[in-house]
Amino acid sequence: MVLSALMPLFLISSVDRLSDLNDQLLLLLNSAAGRSWLFDSLVAFFLDNDLAKAGVIGCCFLAAWYGGKSSNSTNARRKILITTLVAAVCVITTTKVLSKTIFLPRPEIQSQKIYRLDGDQLVEMKRMPVRFMLDEESQKSYHALLNGDVETNDLGSFPSDHAGFFIAISLGIWLASRRLGWLALGWTAIVILGGKMISAQHTPLDIAAGAGVAIVELSAIQYVLRKRFNGILERLTSLTLRYSALSSAIVFLVAFEVSSTMIHIRAFLGLLAAMRRHVLLGMG
Amino acid sequence: MKKFVIVIASFGFIFLTSCKVQKEGIVIMTDHSYKATLLANNKIGIGSPDGLLWHKGKLYFADEGGVALESWNRTEGLKKLADASVGFLSPEDLVIDAQDNIFFTDDDAGGLWEYTADGKLREVAGKDKGLISTEGIAMAKDGSLLVGDGEQHEVFRVTRDGNVTEFLGKEAGITKPESMVFDDQGNLYIADNEDNVLYLLDANRKLHRIIDRNEAFSPETIYYSKGSLYITDSHNCKLYVYTPGEELKTIAAFGGQLKNVQGVTVDDQGNIFLSVQSDLKHKVGNIIEISKEETQVAKK
Repeated sequence: MVLSALMPLFLISSVDRLSDLNDQLLLLLNSAAGRSWLFDSLVAFFLDNDLAKAGVIGCCFLAAWYGGKSSNSTNARRKILITTLVAAVCVITTTKVLSKTIFLPRPEIQSQKIYRLDGDQLVEMKRMPVRFMLDEESQKSYHALLNGDVETNDLGSFPSDHAGFFIAISLGIWLASRRLGWLALGWTAIVILGGKMISAQHTPLDIAAGAGVAIVELSAIQYVLRKRFNGILERLTSLTLRYSALSSAIVFLVAFEVSSTMIHIRAFLGLLAAMRRHVLLGMG
Repeated sequence: MKKFVIVIASFGFIFLTSCKVQKEGIVIMTDHSYKATLLANNKIGIGSPDGLLWHKGKLYFADEGGVALESWNRTEGLKKLADASVGFLSPEDLVIDAQDNIFFTDDDAGGLWEYTADGKLREVAGKDKGLISTEGIAMAKDGSLLVGDGEQHEVFRVTRDGNVTEFLGKEAGITKPESMVFDDQGNLYIADNEDNVLYLLDANRKLHRIIDRNEAFSPETIYYSKGSLYITDSHNCKLYVYTPGEELKTIAAFGGQLKNVQGVTVDDQGNIFLSVQSDLKHKVGNIIEISKEETQVAKK
C-alpha cells in the first residue's frame, strides 16, 4: 500500500533526475562546439556528407553480405541482414511517428526564448545554453534560427531517427559479423550520433530512445521472422546465391540507400503521396 | 520474459511522462524584448477567428470557423454580434468606423457586410455587384471602403450606399488582395498572399512592390500602428514588423498548434494581438497577445 503510494513520487523524481542528467550530458558534449572552426567543420562534414557519414555503414553491410567463409555461413549472415533491413524500415517508421506525436524541440531551438502551450497558458521554457558550431552551414542555420526560421522537423527531436536507423543496421551487421559490427557500431556512436549531440541537434535522451526502439524492434523482428518465417528467409537467401548478379545489384541499391538514410526512397514515397493527392483525389 | 516486459513498460512510462503530446504549440520570440501570452481560446466561446481588430478597448473577431462576428473584452467576455443565420458564410477581415459601425468581408459568400452601431446587419453590396470572394478591407478617408477580391483579382471601392467601382483593376497585377491598410500618410499597403508580395500604393496612385521574397515571405494580414506595419505570415508562421526605411524584422515564429497565424491588430499601448487558426474545420482557434516585457516598458 505504502509502496504504491510512493511509486508516483519515485517516478516523478526519476523523470526530473533523468531530465537533469540528460541536460548535463548534452551540455558537456556540446561544450566542444564553437571553439575551433576546424573541429566544427570536421564534425559538420561528417554530419552533412552522406558518404562520410553513412558510407562506412554501407560498406560494412556489403562486407558482411559477401564475407561468409562457407555457403552455410553466408546463408546465415544474409538471413540476419535481410531481417535487419525489414527491422530498419520498421524502426524508422516508429521513430518518425513518435517524433511527430511527441513535442520536444531540438536543443539548439531550446536555446531561444520559447513559450510552449501548456493547457490554457503559454509557459516560458527553460533555455538550453548550447554553443553553436563555427562552420559555415551551422552559422547559416544559426542565423536562420535567430530570424525565426524553424523547420517542422526541428520541433520533434524525440526520439532520434538517425539513432534508431543506424543502430538497427549496425546491430544487424554485428549479429552477422562481430568485427564488422563493432566497426559499424563505433562509427554510428562516435561519428554520427556524437556529432548530433556536439552540434546540439539531439540530446542523449533522444539518442537513447532511438537506440531503444532499434534494439527492441530488431530483437523482436529477428525473433519472429526466424521462428515463424524461416522458410521464406531460407528461400530468399538461396535465391541470392543462385542469382548472384541480380542480388548483387539489389544489395548495391540497398547499401546505397542505407548510406543516404533512405532519402531517395522517402522522396519517392513523397512523390507517390503527391500523385495520389493530385491525380486520384483531384486536389489542385 | 517478465522482467523484460517490466523494463520496457517502465521506460515507456518515463518517456511518456517526460514529454508532451504534440497537440501543443510554441512561440519562439526572435525579438527577446517581447513576451507571449495566451489571451483566449475556445473555452471563451470563439470558434476559429481570422480577422481581428482592437477598437475602443474591445477586440472584434471575424470568426471564420465559428461563422460569427464577435466582440470580447476581459470584463464583458465574449459577445456574439451576428451569426450565420443572416447569410454570411466565412467572415474574413473587418474595419470599424468612428461611429462604431463594423464592415466585414466574406471570401465564401462574397460581398461587403455592415453591422451597424445600433445592432443591425445588412449586406452593403453583394455578389451581384461583382464582389465574388472578398478578402482585405480598408476604410478610405472619405468613408468609402476598399475591398479586395481574390477571385476577380481586383480592388473595388464601395460606398456606404452600395455603389461599387473599380479601384485597382487586373492590370495592377495583384492576384489576391488578402489584407489592406492605410498608413498615416494616406499610402495604402496591400498584402498579396498568393504572389507573396507586399505592395504600397502611394498618394500619387503609383504601385510599389516593397517586399518580394518569393516563398520566404507571404503576407497574410497587415496592420498599421504608430509608424510601423505589423505583418502575419501564415505560410512561414511568423509575425514581422516593417518600418519604412528599415529591414523587415521578425518578432516571433510559431510552431505546432499555433503555426497558422492569421489576423493581427495592435492596441493603444502597443500590445499586439494575433488570431491563430489551429484547426479551422474543427473550429479550434487561439488569440495570442505579444507584449513588451515589463523591464522594456519601464525603460520606455
